[in-house]
Amino acid sequence: MKMKTVRIIALRQDRKRLLEHLQDSGLVQIAKSESSRKGFDRVNVSSQMQVFERNVELTEQALKILDNASPEKAGMLASFKGRREIDPDEIGVIASKAKKVIEACTRIVELDKKCSDNAAEQIRIKTQLAQLESWQSLDIPLNTTGTKSTAVFIGSFPQQFSEEELKVALASENPKLEFELEIQHSEPNATNVVVFAPKSQKAMAEDALRALGFARPMSPTHKIPKEKAELLRSQRQKLSDETMQAKEEIAKFAEMREEIKSTQDYFRIRSDKYNVINHLDHSRHVFIIEGYIPEEDCEKLETLCNRVATCTVEFNDAGEDAPVKLKNNKFAEPAQGILTMYASPGKTDIDPTPLLAFFFYFFFGMMFSDAGYGVLMIIATGLMIKIFKPDKKMRNNLKLFQYCGVSTTFWGLVFGSIFGDAPAAIYNMFTGSNAVMAHSISNMSDPTPALLPWPTIDPQKDALTLMIISIAFGLVHILVGMGCKFAVCIKQKDYAGAFFDTGLWMLMLIGFAVLAAGMIVSPILITVGAVIAIACAVGLILTQGRGKKGIVGKAIGGVASLYDITSYISDLLSYSRLLALGLTTGVMAQVFNMLATMMGTSIAGFIFFILIFLVGHLINIGLNALGAYVHTMRLQYVEMFSKFYEGGGKEFEPFTLNSKYIKIQEDK
Amino acid sequence: MNGIFFAILGAAIATVLAGIGSAKGVGSAAQTAMGVLSEDSSMFGKMLVLTLLPGTQGLYGFIVGFLILVSSGVLSGAADVTLAQGFAYAGASLAIGFGGLFSGIAQGKAAVSGIAMTAKDEKNFSKGMVSVTLVEIYALLAFIVSLLVVIQIPNLVG
Repeated sequence: MKMKTVRIIALRQDRKRLLEHLQDSGLVQIAKSESSRKGFDRVNVSSQMQVFERNVELTEQALKILDNASPEKAGMLASFKGRREIDPDEIGVIASKAKKVIEACTRIVELDKKCSDNAAEQIRIKTQLAQLESWQSLDIPLNTTGTKSTAVFIGSFPQQFSEEELKVALASENPKLEFELEIQHSEPNATNVVVFAPKSQKAMAEDALRALGFARPMSPTHKIPKEKAELLRSQRQKLSDETMQAKEEIAKFAEMREEIKSTQDYFRIRSDKYNVINHLDHSRHVFIIEGYIPEEDCEKLETLCNRVATCTVEFNDAGEDAPVKLKNNKFAEPAQGILTMYASPGKTDIDPTPLLAFFFYFFFGMMFSDAGYGVLMIIATGLMIKIFKPDKKMRNNLKLFQYCGVSTTFWGLVFGSIFGDAPAAIYNMFTGSNAVMAHSISNMSDPTPALLPWPTIDPQKDALTLMIISIAFGLVHILVGMGCKFAVCIKQKDYAGAFFDTGLWMLMLIGFAVLAAGMIVSPILITVGAVIAIACAVGLILTQGRGKKGIVGKAIGGVASLYDITSYISDLLSYSRLLALGLTTGVMAQVFNMLATMMGTSIAGFIFFILIFLVGHLINIGLNALGAYVHTMRLQYVEMFSKFYEGGGKEFEPFTLNSKYIKIQEDK
Repeated sequence: MNGIFFAILGAAIATVLAGIGSAKGVGSAAQTAMGVLSEDSSMFGKMLVLTLLPGTQGLYGFIVGFLILVSSGVLSGAADVTLAQGFAYAGASLAIGFGGLFSGIAQGKAAVSGIAMTAKDEKNFSKGMVSVTLVEIYALLAFIVSLLVVIQIPNLVG
């Protein structure tokens, strides 16, 4: 779509109103330059912006906490749901409640922090309790060092001792030492012990003990261990009560979820607006907005601006580096997502979306190729669009699959496949006959009864026919891609490129196609095709070296270019995947039908049938829909786009309500 | 001497070799996925998809194996397989057997990288999925070769 640049000059007093309306309408992409022009200044509103951003973060955090505390009851399909539509007036209500909501969010975050702090504290208490466990029988405080005449050592050794062993060990360390000891607790690698010694020998005792690896407890207290443990336990109880209360309080906030979401969007929108203000040029009385706008929206913008502000609006032709906005009819629009996933069209590109859309639907259908699955796709996507009212992007994705579903149904009927051969399998299961779905074109005289009255192409029996058809479609696809290249070259007045580089190759491929067709139809076509192909080859040899210097260089360049034929052949063979994926869908469906009908018509058999049928076809749909999607995309990207598409354009990103949960109803 | 043994051998080759490929692929993908899930369990759905992608080879192998059992009549208890047909079944099973074995392992490696990429940024999921699925085509081609031969064997070889 053609782009214009726009410059709006307006009075500063109208700034808020004008920007709000621009944001609501989403018409303009505002250019953000880093420095201001001469005579103008920037207004710094970063601090307000930071406040808004902090609020957005706060609400995000609060929502996450709420989701953990009381998960939102959301179905599996909730992600298809569009943003909630609100009245323009509701923004005011949200704004007035914002302060309250932010307070609530602050409280939620506080409570959550308390919970995690408590959890850390509880772990600390737990380790302390574990340490005290082994001192339970001790009836003096852990930090006792002695009485008037006796030194007391409380601590542990890093190995297991019995009383006897320890006494021997200490005595051998220092035979002069007089001591008494009491073992409190002993286990492998640790012995808790209380040692008494005369005060006069304190230093001596300490040395002897240290030599054996004696260590005092990690956290000595002045309380008797038992009492200390009691205290810790009650502390722990208190903490867990507090946590419980905090969690309950958080859960109570769950009903504010919707309000929090709206508020988050409110701040997000405001922060976007202030970000734009930061990049606008201001003088004392006026300010300037510059940006891009699609040509068709110019008038709309002008009336809008004049309605809400005192301003002048100028339009100019946009240069080549203008952003790209794609516009397509209803049929092609869903495929825009596929195009932009690859790249937005660059400045020399034509918009290939309509062609892409057609071939995407067509090839997807051929690969998925089952009427039953196709109808399911149409119904499922239709229902989702109706029930969830998704946003534009999701809506387009669903539409894409709806159109693909139509094509899938068509190809399913051509291949004679409805949930594989389910109708025939079920019919045979009950009647015991051996009917088939349909007769294939190669075997019309087959006497077995068929359910479908028209002749079909059976991928299993007519694999070769279908392979040829696939490659023929591939040839058309590639020729269309080269046709686009031809059009692009003509548009840029590169006639040599158009006729020699692209036109000759196209003609040559057509020549080969005629030649191949001639092998089946008539020998005259073989000659015609061969003549075309040879003429083109000569033409290529004569023209492809034109960039090179000297006759030899030109000749070598020309002949070497013929080598490109290999890449065309490999491109064409790549389309055999149309056959491959189409065949797989049908065969897998058939095998599941075969498994399902194996148990016969008893009640148990019937239940078995339903179970296997459902599970089997679900697996088949999941597997093959994914395969069809990916390989269709590959055919577009690798085989077709490589012929002409440059990409590298920037997408048009208008200044708009960039919200997550709410959107404002358009005025009607 | 009839060819039942070789028909059953063919069914076994198709199912077992392709199954090993898928098991290895899914196994390594699942290990990585669980590592990611231990950090962030909300990605379960995406991880599941990436983990299951190398699982198709086993299914293809099973389908070929099943069709061999049906086509040779082993399943219906009325096997009437000549020695030549038996050899043909065994030969046909080699394509999906080895194709499934190696493509399953390769796809598993790709899936592991896809999972790592998705773990870094969830937006990469669709790109990862597309790349991993590209390996699939080679298993599919092997499957189709096996399949086309197996359904023709009763007509081909006397």
